[in-house]
Amino acid sequence: MNRLYILLGIILAVLLFLPQVLNNYWLEIFILIFYYAYLGQCWNVLSGYTGNISLGHALYVGIGAYTSTRLAIVFGLTPWAGMFIGALLAMAVGLFIGFLGFRFGLRGVYFVLITISFAEIGRLIALHMDSLGSFMGLFLDFRPGFWNMQFKGNLPYYYIALGLLLFSVVVVRAFEVSKIGRYLVAIREDEDAAESLGVNTFRYKMWAIGLSSFMTALGGTFDANRIFHLSPERVMSMGMSIEIILRPIIGGMGTVLGPIVGSFLITLPAEWTRAYFSEVGRPGLHMVIYGFVLIFAVFFFPRGVMPFLNRVFKPFFIKHSSPGDNVRDL
Amino acid sequence: MEKKKMEGTGISRRNFIKTSAAVCAVTTITGFPAILRGATPKEIIIGSIQPLTGPIPEIGIGMQRTNKMAVDDINARGGIKSMGGAKIKLLLADHEAKEEVARSAAERLIKAGAVCLVGPFLSGPAMAIATLAEQRNVPFVIDVAAMDAITAKGYKNVFRCFPKTELFMQSIGGFLDQIIKEKKVNIKRIVVSNVGDAFGRSQGAAFIKFVKDKKWPFEIVEHVEYPLGVKDLSAEVAKIKAAKPDVLFPVTRTGDAKLMIRELYKQRVELMGIISPGSPGWYEPDNIRDLDKLAYYVLDNVPWVNPKSPIFKDVNGRYEKMYPGQYLDTNSGWGYVGVQVIADALERAKSTDPDALREALRKTNFKDHPMVGGPVIFDDKGDNINATTALIQVLPDPQMADRVKVVLPNEFAQAPYVFPWKQLWER
Amino acid sequence: MNTDLVLQLTLQGFLMGGVYGLIALGLSLIFGVMRIINFAHGEMMVFAMFLTITFLLSLGLDPYLSLPITAAIMFGIGYGVQRIFVNRILDMPEAMQVLVLVGMGIIFENCTLMIWGGSDISPKTSLALSSFRLGALTVDVPRLIAFVLAILITLMVILFLKKTSIGKTIRAAADNRFGALIVGAHIHRVYGFCFGIGAACVGAAGTLLVPLMPAKATMGAPYTLISFVIVILGGMGSLFGALVGGLIIGVAESVGTVFLPSSMKQVVSFSIMIIILLFRPQGLFGGKG
Repeated sequence: MNRLYILLGIILAVLLFLPQVLNNYWLEIFILIFYYAYLGQCWNVLSGYTGNISLGHALYVGIGAYTSTRLAIVFGLTPWAGMFIGALLAMAVGLFIGFLGFRFGLRGVYFVLITISFAEIGRLIALHMDSLGSFMGLFLDFRPGFWNMQFKGNLPYYYIALGLLLFSVVVVRAFEVSKIGRYLVAIREDEDAAESLGVNTFRYKMWAIGLSSFMTALGGTFDANRIFHLSPERVMSMGMSIEIILRPIIGGMGTVLGPIVGSFLITLPAEWTRAYFSEVGRPGLHMVIYGFVLIFAVFFFPRGVMPFLNRVFKPFFIKHSSPGDNVRDL
Repeated sequence: MEKKKMEGTGISRRNFIKTSAAVCAVTTITGFPAILRGATPKEIIIGSIQPLTGPIPEIGIGMQRTNKMAVDDINARGGIKSMGGAKIKLLLADHEAKEEVARSAAERLIKAGAVCLVGPFLSGPAMAIATLAEQRNVPFVIDVAAMDAITAKGYKNVFRCFPKTELFMQSIGGFLDQIIKEKKVNIKRIVVSNVGDAFGRSQGAAFIKFVKDKKWPFEIVEHVEYPLGVKDLSAEVAKIKAAKPDVLFPVTRTGDAKLMIRELYKQRVELMGIISPGSPGWYEPDNIRDLDKLAYYVLDNVPWVNPKSPIFKDVNGRYEKMYPGQYLDTNSGWGYVGVQVIADALERAKSTDPDALREALRKTNFKDHPMVGGPVIFDDKGDNINATTALIQVLPDPQMADRVKVVLPNEFAQAPYVFPWKQLWER
Repeated sequence: MNTDLVLQLTLQGFLMGGVYGLIALGLSLIFGVMRIINFAHGEMMVFAMFLTITFLLSLGLDPYLSLPITAAIMFGIGYGVQRIFVNRILDMPEAMQVLVLVGMGIIFENCTLMIWGGSDISPKTSLALSSFRLGALTVDVPRLIAFVLAILITLMVILFLKKTSIGKTIRAAADNRFGALIVGAHIHRVYGFCFGIGAACVGAAGTLLVPLMPAKATMGAPYTLISFVIVILGGMGSLFGALVGGLIIGVAESVGTVFLPSSMKQVVSFSIMIIILLFRPQGLFGGKG
């Protein structure tokens, strides 16, 4: 296992050092990779570990972003504080949705649909409230400064995104090895069996959705202060929810590194093909390729890329494993 | 196969080589443009960002065409003479009508060496690009975008050629007064409709406020809003019909304008006419062709081309030949102007340094453009103080390209205006 | 309240509801038999709309005439898509299915974009602008025709599934996949057929919409979402439920615009979906939960 940690440590060091050699454009690409990996990881907490797929996570991104931005506009509150308020609000909404979903025993497709419904209702409400900018959304004024979470170059954003990502990795890993984590895996594998063994599935699933929505909202604030624009179409739409789930699913749900691997695999080609094809002037082509990439990724890695990497690299990282060893997946 | 590990570390040689190679590749790729930029510019790079895909691609494509045409014309005349005849190279990008795509497109163009940006037709993306331009200290010349707020932020790198919403309202006031007096009509009930995007909402709200402030005797009996990209306006038109208006004041985009006219026809809504306080949808070649007779008699308050200007006649003549069925309108016309203004500033700045270029833009006094209104002069907020609008009307004519005519103000008018109109189903 | 307005809106919503029902019919069939939610549903409809427009503009074929051709093409495409892609994901975990179907939606939408471009296209069709008065109400002829044809097609499909042997096999497979396999039904062909019919339904619905609204490559997503709502309301797997659900949602959305601004009208639909999911997940006519 030491080898794995050393490799991860080196990659981390490279990532910390990278901004010295990258220009703004490349920094932005990495920021996108980290940001979506972060959101994917937050989603992973719920869906990867409990198996309840949420297709409405954009709702939490939106709540986080709109709350901190509104507080900044009206009260001048620094987004560093505003983001926690937004996260608490998102957590309340998440717990509410979780309560409805889990209490009423919605699973599978039905749970997906209820998350979609709430997310869409949230988006439509935001589309209408004047205080949230309605159709136009909110534009943030560019006032650079640490307390405004706004910066001139991309560098500080890079480190914040990386920091968020590391934070999420630590949280998920801690979660995974904790008691709750193990119960959740049991729930994911067979909820009824777990229930009959006395596991309080409801409580643990609520934990998962609460944590997931809280963390997702933090990302929303980061994003708002980087793009300087919030609109329901952008941060609270189905499109965003789909972007959130792509990376962890392709990378491997229910694994700590899955969303990160997925993000690297998807974000780079997505940006390149978008840039290339929009210059060449063939609208839609890059998205068709994107669609095929997604489909074939699933065909080749039906459980995600991580389980595949696990099989290939495990012998390398786990030197002498004997039958009794508690060999963990990556 | 046993991977060879480097002595004393847990890293396999393969991984180390891979990572190092990646870092080297990245460094090389990113280092390049810097080397290029240091040399004397044989060509000056400008970035054009327009909505080529998304809800209004036909307008975006038109704007890109005139951006390009202006660049080609300037290069054909010898480029930027004060910089040794340096040619302008136009890099193209599509912002898909999305703010975050606009922002990253702008970022990409700046990375590729653009010293100035032009675009983006839509107000939302304009705001996003303006913020980025300010962050990166690169001048941004807005060819078309009306929302007032864009120039209210105090960004020093933003210059807007197009009139802002406030200006639209000032001129429509004058035109309405003239119409009411000259035609002796009694307009009592009006309905305002707007499409739900940044521009639509701000234009709609500004008009409503303007009506209230000016204390006209009209009553706004209904205000209808609908999302951009709506496919079905039957419910909205039913509401408009139920309000029994005399005149409809719509702020639209292209798709909904067509839908609206057709629904008004189907539901037999009686009106004195349609007067737009300033919006797309009523003059584009595609709309004129698709709607045919239904498009007649709509009045629109837009910063139109100046039909009497020799520049317009020259540019439009060539544009119509290059793109049969198309003509220079209130949007593509300004697309041409945006690039002209940049080139003019480059001539005076004699350099591509952002501060020099910005100073030159600030001092712009450019009169050789094809639009109505005086020379382009920017105030300290970046707005063109001489931008103004004209009232155009779609009038019957066997030649589709000649149907849109300026009717007011009188000094630019090509034909007398018609009001009230003939009902849609009586044509 | 202005009763004329409400009646007019109810009528318009009801007529549109027939088309919604047809769209949802396809989804209900696909879900009932294969237990997957087709995230590409709306996008497939839009593709069919553009096929119809192409027939109209290049061959001069009125949409009502080209409908069977478009439906047949969509059937073929649906069958192919099922055999090549959807078949492989039937036993995969949900998340993977979602991803593949979302990918399919992206492909359909962007193929439409590539082939026909991004602008609105609303060609003139023969009856597009006709309407007649019925008392205080105006009846939109294309909408009426769309309604009548949609209902006819729905009834035809329901009859087909009840009476023909293929239909019965499909229903058997829906009820009990394993059992059907044992009995020797060529299950893959059955699934292909089923997806094909679903695609044909949604394609026919698209054709009916061409005289009513401008077609744009990116308009599919809201239709996918609304068909989810209708299928849940009517009951997953219940074809009659899809029809009734479509009518209800059509009217609810339309009348909702009296109280809510029109972009909020979907709030009505989604709220209905939430309530049904919580309190009666099998919907109005669904059998098992």
